[in-house]
Amino acid sequence: MGDAIRAVGLTKVFNGKIRAVAGVSFQVREGEVFGFLGPNGAGKTTTVNMLTTFLRPTEGRATVDGLDVVGEAAEVRRRIGVIFQESTADDQLTGRENLRLAAALYGVGRGKAEAEIARLLGALKLEEAADRLVRTYSGGMRRRLELAAGLVHTPRVLFLDEPTLGLDPQARAGIGDTIRQLRQEQGVTVFLTTHYLDEADQLCDRIAIIDRGEIRAIGTPSELKERIGGDVVTVAPLSDAVDLTAALQRVPGVLAVSRQEGAYRLKATRGETVVPGAVQASLAAGVGLASVSVKRPSLDEVFLEFTGRAYREEEGPTATDWAVRVQRFRGGARR
Amino acid sequence: MTVREFAALVDRDLRQWVRSPTAIISSLLLPFLYLLLFGQAFNNITGLAASLPAASGGGALSTFSGAPDYYSYFTAGMVGFTLLGTSLFAGANVIFDRRFGVLKKIVSAPVARDVIFGARIFSAVVRGLIFGSFVFVIALAFAHVPGLNGLTVTASVTPVGALEIVLAMVMLTALFTAISVAIGFLIEQIDAFFAVINLVNLPVLFTSSALFPRTLLPPWLKAASDWNPISLASNVVRENLFAAAGSYYPDGPAFYLGVLAIVTVVFGALTTAAVRWSLRPR
Repeated sequence: MGDAIRAVGLTKVFNGKIRAVAGVSFQVREGEVFGFLGPNGAGKTTTVNMLTTFLRPTEGRATVDGLDVVGEAAEVRRRIGVIFQESTADDQLTGRENLRLAAALYGVGRGKAEAEIARLLGALKLEEAADRLVRTYSGGMRRRLELAAGLVHTPRVLFLDEPTLGLDPQARAGIGDTIRQLRQEQGVTVFLTTHYLDEADQLCDRIAIIDRGEIRAIGTPSELKERIGGDVVTVAPLSDAVDLTAALQRVPGVLAVSRQEGAYRLKATRGETVVPGAVQASLAAGVGLASVSVKRPSLDEVFLEFTGRAYREEEGPTATDWAVRVQRFRGGARR
Repeated sequence: MTVREFAALVDRDLRQWVRSPTAIISSLLLPFLYLLLFGQAFNNITGLAASLPAASGGGALSTFSGAPDYYSYFTAGMVGFTLLGTSLFAGANVIFDRRFGVLKKIVSAPVARDVIFGARIFSAVVRGLIFGSFVFVIALAFAHVPGLNGLTVTASVTPVGALEIVLAMVMLTALFTAISVAIGFLIEQIDAFFAVINLVNLPVLFTSSALFPRTLLPPWLKAASDWNPISLASNVVRENLFAAAGSYYPDGPAFYLGVLAIVTVVFGALTTAAVRWSLRPR
């Protein structure tokens, strides 16, 4: 299996001074769902724009489906589907007409297009609304239509830039299901950007954490979490009569033990593997247990670990935007 | 498969157009009001022209370059004026497409830039032919309404002549649509676009012989108006509709069509380059 996307030292400098993307390198394997996670202004969209031939890299190079994004841009466009942050559907056409237009623009023949459109309308639950003007669509329906329009030519690689931005939780979950389904049924490679940690965690096989134009870490969600010290196992005893710290410390796999509000917090690379030992050790010391829980570290902690900054979904974007604007105003470089 | 993409873009353009009856009606209302009010009022100069002594270039036929009256002369110019107006606003759609994201979708597809540009021009030409025909139909109908002036055709129009008129309408629409669409690609703000378009619209109209008799223009304005694309198209129409026109125009319709073709091709090349430049990878 080859790489669907390969980027080497990809860099974009705007106006000779703003380094939006600063030497980004990564590979996305065929059939993988790969996520770019970072706050707004981190360089996610700029990276997508370079990979989808919209922007020319200032330095570095990238291939998509084995083709150079600069030298073979036309063929790259043919093989990819792009779903932008904003709506790109024509309000004054129906959903079906929009899909027909999209199919024709990608050179899909009439008969093949009609079959594919019918299939996508069904898969994305847009059948009933298909012949209504897009003007009447809800936000979630518009997003699903965007998804359909990006898939109508059966692309090899699908780029999704913030696919769930501004959607309510239910619509977000719907988009998530669709992406999972797509990968399963068509084996399409998916490259998505998001600033929702939970979304990256649930959808992606691998994640790159990007901040201020640089990749801070790449790995599977669980790998990234492991790198920050592993799971937290909380052991709550029935009584405080005996101190279990020493006993729990000796359980194989336990890295550290601390006491907090009458419970023991164990750190372990893989939490579930130390549970049997912890239970046994407690019972051997004559202490019954009220509960044992295993918690994986969330991506919030991962983000903090690799960028040195706490992640704030709601606040983050505005703060970063402002920083960029202020620096542009001062005429300074971004980094 | 360039044809499929071209056809799909034209289809989309025309569908959008058909779905906004308000826009269609208001763009038909303008030429209608000109034909109903402006032309009727100014047709009184026909009598003035007829009363002028022949020595000072008087007489209706010589004043109106072969047309029997002002209204008939004006109708031919009205076709060009109508096409100018509708063509010049075609570029606004590019700005709306950009604002609503549709342009991004189209540009991200593997479609040649020239196809995107060409499709816009083609659909504008289709609309232009409908608007132009509307002017002829209304002006001819007015001739049968008691109390109203209308278009009087004094020549027998040959198939070649009809084809020449259609070609003139096609080229005039293509020319001004290309300019407008290119401006739409270059200017991203809608208010700036309308400011620039208004700057083009009126000077082009007033330096032409569309609404004002060519013979009565001051010499310097006449010289400028003889090269104005609307004048060129109006000349083609007048020479084909009015039997006497041939003796008042220095050249035949084929000549004016040729000049119009050269102007259209030159501006077509310039605007194509401008659109390519505006869509270049950055």
